[in-house]
Amino acid sequence: MLKLLKTEWLKLKNYNAFIVLSSFFALGVFTTNYIVFTVNKNIVNKVNAVGLGTSFNPYDFTRTWQTTSYATGWLLMLPALLLIILVTNEFNYRTNRQNIIDGWSRQEFISVKIALAVITALVTTLLVIITALTFGAFSGTSFAMDGFSHVGYFLLKALSYNLLAVLISVWIRRTGFAIGLYFIYLGAENIISQLLDVWSLKLRSESKIDLGSMGDYLPMNASDGLLTFPDNPLKSMAKANLPTDYTWLVIIMAVLYVVLFYILSRRSVVKSDQ
Amino acid sequence: MEILTVENLSKNYGKIQALKGVSFAVPAGTVFGILGPNGSGKTTLLGIVMDVLKASGGGYKIFGAAPTNQQRKQIGTLLETPNFYHYLSAVQNLKIAAAIKGHGVEDIDRVLEIVNLSARKNSRFSTYSLGMKQRLAIGAALLGNPDVLVFDEPTNGLDPVGIAEIRELIKKLSQQGKTIIMASHLLDEVEKVCTHVAILKQGTLITHGDVNEILVNEDTVEVSAPDISQLENILKQLPGAGKIESVDKTVRIYFPSGTANLAAVNQFCFNNGIVLSHLQLKKKSLESKFFELTN
Repeated sequence: MLKLLKTEWLKLKNYNAFIVLSSFFALGVFTTNYIVFTVNKNIVNKVNAVGLGTSFNPYDFTRTWQTTSYATGWLLMLPALLLIILVTNEFNYRTNRQNIIDGWSRQEFISVKIALAVITALVTTLLVIITALTFGAFSGTSFAMDGFSHVGYFLLKALSYNLLAVLISVWIRRTGFAIGLYFIYLGAENIISQLLDVWSLKLRSESKIDLGSMGDYLPMNASDGLLTFPDNPLKSMAKANLPTDYTWLVIIMAVLYVVLFYILSRRSVVKSDQ
Repeated sequence: MEILTVENLSKNYGKIQALKGVSFAVPAGTVFGILGPNGSGKTTLLGIVMDVLKASGGGYKIFGAAPTNQQRKQIGTLLETPNFYHYLSAVQNLKIAAAIKGHGVEDIDRVLEIVNLSARKNSRFSTYSLGMKQRLAIGAALLGNPDVLVFDEPTNGLDPVGIAEIRELIKKLSQQGKTIIMASHLLDEVEKVCTHVAILKQGTLITHGDVNEILVNEDTVEVSAPDISQLENILKQLPGAGKIESVDKTVRIYFPSGTANLAAVNQFCFNNGIVLSHLQLKKKSLESKFFELTN
């Protein structure tokens, strides 16, 4: 695999889109969290001071893991976009064929793309850890690992986003269509998810059936649903009426979707004409 | 030893049958041409052999064994179009090809020299002309000096000088004992460089074998006399003549290339009591032979 990744690196290291999008993402992670940090400091705390609640800093230790994971999660479309470009490039340039002609197996071709998606997810997670530590350090609280599970949820979300990007790329093969379909799917799933959430609320209040937030059981919303902004006092009050949060079920579903995306991508490349 | 053995290979694209049970073998050390008009299945056949397409039926062997990825690393292949990363230079692209094939980068300068791209080796692939792209693809196939080369339409997009250079290169590689499998729709190209040929038409293998036997260039002598049937009967006894056939109000006599002697035909007929009203030598062009084979 190391040999395959070294070859893949030869394709990447001189690619401007790779350098630009990666830099944008890294910059975006810091900027987004900085904005949340500043907004909270300047606005939320002032509102709280009026008497609506107690002091609340989302970048306190224990909360910083969750807040950074949640805020950075909004940017995960950027690495996914980069992956779509990288994978569909192979089909546009027909280098997917040439790689196989030159001696890679179809499994090797798709494995290195999957590996790229996983490495991207790991690197973005590492970036989350560094950012969480940095903002946590500025919060004035002492270091704590509590709530680090949210970083794990972030990794799961990054894997979902990246592997869906690879799957759509090997299915659609055209850059523009693949990017379009990816975002349409995210949007459509979000709408369906909200409708399912409304239905879940209705079931709970009218029929006393508590199936959890069903919107969270959809492929992308499973990992999305795990990442939430830390409960502020207002949100905590509202929570009593929401359906139960079956976190483990959502985690299992998110993992299953990641595995499914992997299997479908692999199958598509191995079985079909290139 | 057979370099490639194709056994009853078929490929369907939906209802369209691109290959219909094709079987042949490529002996070692030959320049093997796969000849056929556009859409006859040449690239499909090579695509299956190179594992970029899945066969619908049949199979193939490379070096007498079931195909493996390792075998493809030992074959230099240009299939259909030059496939490179547009944003990378020739050298950067060849580094990728060399890494996949398991070679070092030391051979890159040599192959770029062979295909006359040394001066532009650091230019992006996207800035290359069609001919330069084609030459780079041939260069990539030569990486690691493989004993077997597969060229699909190798002179596509090249100017006349480039075409002549590539043909010379193929001859030179053949003289070094390499086996070359070349697909082409250009009969002239196959005739000039190939030792063996397989002819495909709409996915069916029409014939295959030694190029001199299949693309034999016959002379045709067309004769006519008042009594055509008597003329045809007499001509059957003509020494040295091949096939004889009656077409419209003439009789055609086929001779091996360069052996037709009009005076001898005239004399033979006269000696047998026939006075010819028409006598003409028709050189059969390779194109007409090609049409005859594929139509």
